[in-house]
Amino acid sequence: MKVLVIEDERELSDSICSYLANEQFVCERALDFHTALEKVSLYDYACIILDVNLPGGSGLDILNELKKEMKIDGVLIISARNSLDDKVFALKAGADDYLTKPFHLAELGARVAAIIRRKSFEGKNQVILNELMLDLSEKEVRINNKPIDLTRKEYELLLYFISNKNKVIAKNAIAEHLWGDNMDLADNYDFIYTHIKNLRKKLIQAGAADYIKSIYGMGYKFSA
Amino acid sequence: MKLFAKYNRINLLATIIIFLLASTTFYIAIKYILIGQIDDDLTIEEREIKTYIKEHNILPEPIPVKDQKITYSLSNELLEKRKFRTVPAYDPQDKEKNSYRVLQFGVGTNGKNYVATVAKSLEGTDALINSILLITSTTILLILIVSLIINRVLLKRLWKPFYYTLHTIRNFRVDKKQRLDFPFTSIDEFAFMNQTLEKATNQAQQDYLVLKEFTENASHEMQTPLSIIRSKLDLLIQEENLSEEQSKTVQSTYQAIEKLSRLNYSLLLLAKIENNQFAETSSLNLKLKIEEKINAFHELWQSQNITVDTCLDDTTIKMNNELADILLNNLLSNATRHNVPGGNIKIEIRNKSLRISNSGAQKELDPRRLYSRFYKQDGGHGQNGLGLSIIKQICDVSGFEIDYSFTPGQHLFIISLI
Repeated sequence: MKVLVIEDERELSDSICSYLANEQFVCERALDFHTALEKVSLYDYACIILDVNLPGGSGLDILNELKKEMKIDGVLIISARNSLDDKVFALKAGADDYLTKPFHLAELGARVAAIIRRKSFEGKNQVILNELMLDLSEKEVRINNKPIDLTRKEYELLLYFISNKNKVIAKNAIAEHLWGDNMDLADNYDFIYTHIKNLRKKLIQAGAADYIKSIYGMGYKFSA
Repeated sequence: MKLFAKYNRINLLATIIIFLLASTTFYIAIKYILIGQIDDDLTIEEREIKTYIKEHNILPEPIPVKDQKITYSLSNELLEKRKFRTVPAYDPQDKEKNSYRVLQFGVGTNGKNYVATVAKSLEGTDALINSILLITSTTILLILIVSLIINRVLLKRLWKPFYYTLHTIRNFRVDKKQRLDFPFTSIDEFAFMNQTLEKATNQAQQDYLVLKEFTENASHEMQTPLSIIRSKLDLLIQEENLSEEQSKTVQSTYQAIEKLSRLNYSLLLLAKIENNQFAETSSLNLKLKIEEKINAFHELWQSQNITVDTCLDDTTIKMNNELADILLNNLLSNATRHNVPGGNIKIEIRNKSLRISNSGAQKELDPRRLYSRFYKQDGGHGQNGLGLSIIKQICDVSGFEIDYSFTPGQHLFIISLI
């Protein structure tokens, strides 16, 4: 699967590519509007990560071009602008998701994974990982086909981990994911710790492997 | 006190004093002159009598003249000095009191000494004085009243441009882009004032704009490097062989970047609110909105053993939806962050006001600096000190009023939703 990163800031583009690139994804880059437009019209991508402010034009024009050519590439807008209007506008223009800078790569990873899932599973909304099975439409988790009872936050956390599997996710990134943009409480790590502890306990009790590891109090890693 | 009133008061007082002084002086002067005149007449009479006595050696027969009486009375010795007096007398004819001017002098004839008394009625003089006084007082009074009225009307008209300017300047907001429209005036002083005000307000607006743009641009410019640092940190922690020490360093860096990002977000938000980028309002059910927030915070409160009491009346408010979210998030975050373990939060909507109180520090927040940017009480738990500024700013643009009150251990914020 190919992912295209359209971002003019080379360093950020580098980071995104190194984070996303793995055995599943091949990451391509475009640093300006014209390169981006060319690549978009020549190839198909599973997901396009699109910055709005580009030298040479607006990222939204690229989005329009995609829609005009009836391409079905998933599009994740990344922008420094964080007002609701900007988000609504981008989503109405056909973007699949919208992420405000600065973001955590783990958050980006989760959003890209979600877009790709939506685009490729076509209704069969399931994520399967060894003995784990997540039903995305029912928001239900089964282990060895037996449903387990998770709270809303625990479910979100598990999905977040799976979307960033084998990556170390910083506590801050987890906090931000769970609390959302506005809640000014992202520094409340004790609470995250409790959630992760509970999730881990429930998974192990239901017979799953111990996937979640703490990394020096800095973050967590879901190894599979 | 209004300028008119002050001016009128001084003016009136001065004119009344002048009026009284002038009238009295006038009265005294006229009286003095007229009495002098009569005294002259009396002296002439005396001379005539004395001449008559010298020629004829007898007292002259008093000739009855209107308003004049001459009488003689015997006296033991000759009166050397003449004496002028004013005496009141009763006139049986007119049945009224009349004043007389009396001159007494001594005359001698046939070896006898007499005191001659020449009295002249002051009736005519008094009447004259009275009528002169009446005419002058009426004139002065008339002048006073007219000048007062003229002053009032004229001053009001003259000061009109001033009040208009005042009204215009009162509506001046440094954060609004509208130019002030001062009226044309032909009066140099007012024209000069308007010119100066126009210049000053334009300058203020410009300075404000520059400052605001600076904050905004600085925040915007900061976003990219922040994004890069964050992403590099996210990559760094993927390294397999980070030592524990290195991990700690990374963790501290994360915290600092997080703080900086939030600060940046808050500054941008403030700039946006000031820029009126949240002007669109809609009707919101505050009760539903709060219940939504309570749901989001529920787990957190539970984990900190904070009990929450609510009493929510169904209330619809008109404000920007995004701002409502931010406002409630900030209020509830504050109530949570500054709480104590096992504390409480009380959320009420009643009588068109939202009241959020929480248990917390024993010390009252400084009510004067509460909403100023970067205000932190006692270190502020690593907060950036913009939370309450944002709350206040949102209240301001939404037309709400916010109040803070403190009873030992309880902090209460009341937002009047009108």
